[in-house]
Amino acid sequence: MSRPAVHARPGLVRSLLRLFTVQGSWNYERMQGVGIGVAEEPLLRDLRAEVGDDGVAYRAAVARGAHFFNAHPYLCGLAVGAAARAEHDGVPPEQVERLRTALCGPLGSLGDRLVWAGWLPLTSALALIGVALGLGLPAVLGFVVVYNVGHVALRWWALRAGWTYGARVAQALREPLLQRATALSGPAMALGVGAALPLVAQYLSGALFGWARLALAGVVAGGFALLWWQRRRLTGLRLGLALLAVAALAGWLWP
Amino acid sequence: MSLELQVWLLLWGTLVGLDLVSVPQMMIARPLVAGPIAGAILGDVGTGLQLGVLFELFQYDILPMGATRYPEYGPATVAAVSAAHAAAGTLGLGLGALVGLITGMAGGLSLHALRQLNTRAVRRAAAALDGGDARRLERLHAASIVRDAGRAAVVTALGLVLAQVARAYLAGALPPHGVALLNVAAVGAALAAGTAGTLRLVGRGPGLRWFAAGVAGGAIVAWLR
Repeated sequence: MSRPAVHARPGLVRSLLRLFTVQGSWNYERMQGVGIGVAEEPLLRDLRAEVGDDGVAYRAAVARGAHFFNAHPYLCGLAVGAAARAEHDGVPPEQVERLRTALCGPLGSLGDRLVWAGWLPLTSALALIGVALGLGLPAVLGFVVVYNVGHVALRWWALRAGWTYGARVAQALREPLLQRATALSGPAMALGVGAALPLVAQYLSGALFGWARLALAGVVAGGFALLWWQRRRLTGLRLGLALLAVAALAGWLWP
Repeated sequence: MSLELQVWLLLWGTLVGLDLVSVPQMMIARPLVAGPIAGAILGDVGTGLQLGVLFELFQYDILPMGATRYPEYGPATVAAVSAAHAAAGTLGLGLGALVGLITGMAGGLSLHALRQLNTRAVRRAAAALDGGDARRLERLHAASIVRDAGRAAVVTALGLVLAQVARAYLAGALPPHGVALLNVAAVGAALAAGTAGTLRLVGRGPGLRWFAAGVAGGAIVAWLR
C-alpha cells in the first residue's frame, strides 16, 4: 500500500530547520531519538488526513520517530527522510524500525570521517593559516562561511536523498561524489593541519625570546610524547592544567 | 571592565555554548570563532585571535563522537579572552589559558549533567512519547534546548567570574620570568595537544605522508617569513 505525499516540499523545509536542533535533547537513553522525532514530524502530517484512521498511523509513526537513534548530526536527515518516506509508502512498522537501526552505524561512521575528521579540521586549519599569516578576522569569518556552505549543503542533500530513496536509502550512500569527498577529506585535512602547525607555532611564540623559545621547544616535545604514550589517561586539558600549575609555581618561587 | 561589556560577553558565551551541541552547530563554538568575536566585543581583536588560535589547538585533541565526554572550549575561550584582555601585554596568554582550561573542564562536566537531566525528562515523558504525542515531544525538545541555554550561560558566567578573580589576584603576583613561564606552558601544551590530536586522526596510513608534507610546507613558509 502506498500513500501519496501531498505537501512534501514545505514539510522538507520545516524538517530541515528542525534538523538544525536535532541534538538539542540529546540524552543517554534515546540519544538523538527525540530530536529525530521532532524533525520527522512535519513530514508525517499528511498521515493525519487518512480517512477512517483517526490519526492512529500518524501517532504510531511519530512514536517510532522518537525511538533511540544516534548518528552524525549532519547526516541524520537521511534517516529522517527515509523513515518518513517509508511510513508514507506503507512499509511495515518493524521494517521502518530496522531501517533506522541499520542507518545508525553507517551514518555515524561516514559523518565522522567526512566532517569531524575531514571538512571541519581542514577548514579550521585553513583559517589558522590565514590568521598566522596576518589575515586576522576575515580569515575567521571566511571559515564560518565556507564551513557552513558545506554543512548546510550536506544537511539538505541528506534530507532530500532520504525522502527520495525511502527504504532504498542505502543507494544514496553509494553516490560517487560522496565517496570521492570521503576519500579526499582525510588527506586534505592531514595536509592542511600539518601546514598550519608550524605557522601557528611561529604566530603564538612571537612574544617569546631567548630561553623561553628553547623551553617552548622542550615543552612541546615532552608534552607530545606524554600525550602520545599516555593517550588513554592523559588529555590536552589535563596536560595544559598540569603544565600551567607547574609554571605558576616555578615562576612564583624563582628569585 | 564595564557591566555592559560583561553582559555582551555572557550573551555571546551563551550562544557559543548552545552552538556546540544543541543549535545550530554552525561552529561559532569553535575557539577560533568564539575568541576573536569576544575580542571584538572588548575592542581587542588581537588578544581574541591569539587565544582563539591557542584553544583551537586544544580543540584538535577532541573528536566529539556519540556519548564521549569532552571539555567545552567555546565559552571557555570567551572567559579566557576576558581574563587576558584586562591583564594586557604578554601576561594575557598564560592567564587566559589558565582561566579557559578550568572553564572548559567545568563546561564538560555541565554537559554530562545536562544529558542526565535530559535523560530523566525523557523517562518521565516515555508514555506520552510512546503514544505518539507530538506536542509533548516538541515541548520536551524545546525545554531541553532552553536547559542547554541556561547551562551555557552559567558556564560562561562562571568563567567570567574566574577571569575577574584571576585578574585581581594573579595579574600582579608573578615576576616577568614567571609570566614567560606561564606563556611557555600554555603555548607548549596547546601545540602538543594539537599535534597529538591530529596524528590520532591521521593514523599510520597514507595520511601520515600528507601530514608530513604539510608540516614541511608550513615550516618552509614560516622560515621564509
